[in-house]
Amino acid sequence: MNAGPLRPALAIYTALFLLFLYGPMIVLAILSFQSQSGGPQFPIQDWSVYWYEHLLGLAETSRVSQLPVGDSLLRSLTLAFMTTVVSVTLGTMSAEAFRTRFKGSGPVFYLVILGMMVPGVLVGLGMALLANVLGIDRAWWSTAFVLHVVYTYPFAFLVMLAIFNRFDRSIEEASMSLGVSRGQTFRRVTFPILFPGVLSAALFSFTLSYDEFARTLFTAGRDLTLPLAIYGTFSVEIYPNIFAFGVLTTLFSFTLLVIYGLLMKRFTGAKTSTYKGQEDAA
Amino acid sequence: MTSTAADIATDRRTSPAVIRQNKDRRRALLLLSPGVIWMTLFLLLPLCMVVYVSFWTQTTFAVEPTLTTASWQQFLSSPTYLSAIWTTVRIWAIVLTATLVVGYPVALYIGLFVQNKTLQTALLVACVIPFWTSFLIRVIAWRPMLGTEGAINTILLKVGLIHEPLTFLLFSEFSVLVGMTQIYCVFMVGPITFMIGRIDPSVIEAARDLGASFGTIFRRIVLPLSLPGVIVGAIFVSVMVLGEFATAASLSGRKVNLLGNIIVSQVGSLKWAFAAVAGVVLTIIITAVITLALRVVDLRKEM
Repeated sequence: MNAGPLRPALAIYTALFLLFLYGPMIVLAILSFQSQSGGPQFPIQDWSVYWYEHLLGLAETSRVSQLPVGDSLLRSLTLAFMTTVVSVTLGTMSAEAFRTRFKGSGPVFYLVILGMMVPGVLVGLGMALLANVLGIDRAWWSTAFVLHVVYTYPFAFLVMLAIFNRFDRSIEEASMSLGVSRGQTFRRVTFPILFPGVLSAALFSFTLSYDEFARTLFTAGRDLTLPLAIYGTFSVEIYPNIFAFGVLTTLFSFTLLVIYGLLMKRFTGAKTSTYKGQEDAA
Repeated sequence: MTSTAADIATDRRTSPAVIRQNKDRRRALLLLSPGVIWMTLFLLLPLCMVVYVSFWTQTTFAVEPTLTTASWQQFLSSPTYLSAIWTTVRIWAIVLTATLVVGYPVALYIGLFVQNKTLQTALLVACVIPFWTSFLIRVIAWRPMLGTEGAINTILLKVGLIHEPLTFLLFSEFSVLVGMTQIYCVFMVGPITFMIGRIDPSVIEAARDLGASFGTIFRRIVLPLSLPGVIVGAIFVSVMVLGEFATAASLSGRKVNLLGNIIVSQVGSLKWAFAAVAGVVLTIIITAVITLALRVVDLRKEM
């Protein structure tokens, strides 16, 4: 598209937009290397890794209380893992069901999608009220967990729906009619085609649940998850330990993303080579 | 006549295709039931509970299931709560406009002007990467940016543009608006880029061959075809901004009270009935906004 000076102008605008997107994180990362005496702002008194040590419990205790990183991290990871397993299972089952035409598919579709549309604070409130009335104790692994699935299941469902829409059942049938066993058909044909979708759905569910706090706030009970621990710092003064924490969690998420990327590449790479083989055979 | 109909009916029931169809349908319902039950128990039931409890009787530290409209009356006659409704709607409208104004040109550039597929993907990934940082950390990151001793003030002072630090940057409605715009604008950029990227290049080519200027092409082709993306983005942004409370809590210094903040603070002081009233009001607003959005564009047709 050629439109005179508009193109370079939009390019510069996009660069500025990216600066707007990344600016705060860059500042936060720089300030995480503030010294013990420095506050959560410029100038940097002295470059140090004090706040990282503080975060990991390696520095001597100071006036700044420590973030409960260890326990809450473990809880968040467990919760995200449980959520991922359940929502990917539910999402795959529902998407598979949607391959058959049935009456009432519209309302069911919207019921599932509603889970990602309703604000977290609302379902959280509703669940807390329900738990109160029924006399159920609220905990991260019970009341918070079911809401996490309510949130991530629609995403898993949509991803799997997209995968199934492209999935040609005749390939599977062809494989079996050629005498390949059911187990081997699943392993060699069905699974490789579905796997990238399952992986994407899992990544979606995991990251959404790992970072979820609005639904968790009223439903987690006494034990905090990681986002709740961060949210706890909102009302009090902010120290650079939370910045150091931000940098570490970002690095963690990136590791996750890279693993996902590598797995994806391996699988899609393998898939294209099979398709090439099929074309050759044809 | 009736016997013929009955014969056809039995035929239908016993024909292999119908049997198979029925089997498929039963299997589909079986596969669906866990999800439907889950959503009914843990989504619909809690939401009904919110409506129900909004009519309960609120005493100082407890709620009783005696039905009354007292909470509603108190809510709708309190200037604090009414102003929270107004603030929520105002912030929603401003952030929605801001994300659209800030995001559309970016989407236009990535979707229409970048022809290199690799660069296009790279730019989109660059927009999404910040989402792998915790939402709450992204909110907090604005504090060292906007504070009186923050990055922006430091830079402006060094450059000599200002002599006194700007104080309106943090702990104001401004900081909430900037924070939300940055956090949510990607939900606008993504769907719009997707829609613009789907436009058949030959349509634009044809328009240009027929002598249309870029302005005309934009107005008559690109803008209308990107509209579904705008609506999808608007729904995403609306749902998230209307349910917000964390950004306001962290960046406004309690100056900005959204309905979400009211819910959180009322739950904190065990005023469940008031929290429920605020919840119902929020639901009404969100339903109205989404219904309006879906009036403009039929999403199922576009998918």
